[in-house]
Amino acid sequence: MTSRIEEISQLDRMIHEPARLAIMLILGGVGEADFLYLQREGGFTQGNLSGHLAKLEEAGYIAIAKKFKGKMPLTVCSLTGRGKMAFAAYSNRMLGLLQPGRSRRP
Amino acid sequence: MLAFTWARRRRYGNAKIRGFHACPVPGLDTDCLLTKTSLCCKLVFMKDDISLATSTPGRRAASYWFLDGLPDIVLGGTLFVFAALGLGWCIRRSASATRLDFLFLAAGFCLFFWKGRALVEFCKSRLTYPRTGYVQPPREIEKCPAVMPLSLGPSLPPDENVTRFERREVLIVFWWCYLIAVGLYPWQTAYLPWTMPVLAAALYAANRKSENPFRWWSALLLALTGPAMAWLDIPPRLQPPALPLLAGAWLMAQGALTLLRYLRANPYPRGAEGVRA
Repeated sequence: MTSRIEEISQLDRMIHEPARLAIMLILGGVGEADFLYLQREGGFTQGNLSGHLAKLEEAGYIAIAKKFKGKMPLTVCSLTGRGKMAFAAYSNRMLGLLQPGRSRRP
Repeated sequence: MLAFTWARRRRYGNAKIRGFHACPVPGLDTDCLLTKTSLCCKLVFMKDDISLATSTPGRRAASYWFLDGLPDIVLGGTLFVFAALGLGWCIRRSASATRLDFLFLAAGFCLFFWKGRALVEFCKSRLTYPRTGYVQPPREIEKCPAVMPLSLGPSLPPDENVTRFERREVLIVFWWCYLIAVGLYPWQTAYLPWTMPVLAAALYAANRKSENPFRWWSALLLALTGPAMAWLDIPPRLQPPALPLLAGAWLMAQGALTLLRYLRANPYPRGAEGVRA
């Protein structure tokens, strides 16, 4: 097994799944977003998104909080510090794999 | 990719490839078994796709802030109300009294800078968030702290949910009001209606590639209101507050049309999320 193939097997599987990667990518670009926004942006169903958010929360990558905007209850999700670091490491490793010699520092 | 390219070609016709004659990479057309025209057409479309910045999550979130037209309505409404107060004061005062109508506009801008964002958020929490969800409002570009790079693309900015709304739109309107109220009026009132095309051109040019662009015909309408006012022979002492009044009404109309379109496209949801407590 070459070192690059080995690196592929070491990718963070919690982030590598396409739906969770989309969630991390959206939250990384916007700061915080609520359930409905994530559902519309990612094209998820409610159950699907709920399941992926629960997994990411369990891993400590995102924080989910119930907030009120006026009288409106919102389920607001945001990346935690650990999530940001994990995503930066993931994107760094991915870039290194796809473009050897052009990896970035997290 | 090719299917997507051809779909776009069907949509846009040949309008975008006019003037593109020479193949940029000699030999590439023969290698790919394509005609020169076909290859150039594909390259132009691919280049266009690469420069499309609004598809990144952060830029989409920044555009989302303007999706419902509420920022324009709040800015235009503030301008309209305080210019109307100034106009009312101008109509009632005697011709020899000191000009104080610009103080109303100044008060309006102070209120907007102080509470404008909160007012937009208040309206959004009732209209936008229940329909299409909440995302963190964009920050002004100069206030962004240095954050960790999170995107996969090597050339994307680290945090993309930023905007220059205040500089692009609010400050243009602010300095334009300053020009007509304080800068230009004491010297020559005949120039006042011609500031309207200046405002229209500045707003159109500054917002052309922003999250909140204006249509050219709409900017033209705004530009024509100034000369129309000169043609209608409005008394010079009423012109300084009447011009911001028109600009405010135009901004409100822009926002109201956008809001109407948004509300039609996004009816109130009936699911568990976004239901009033």
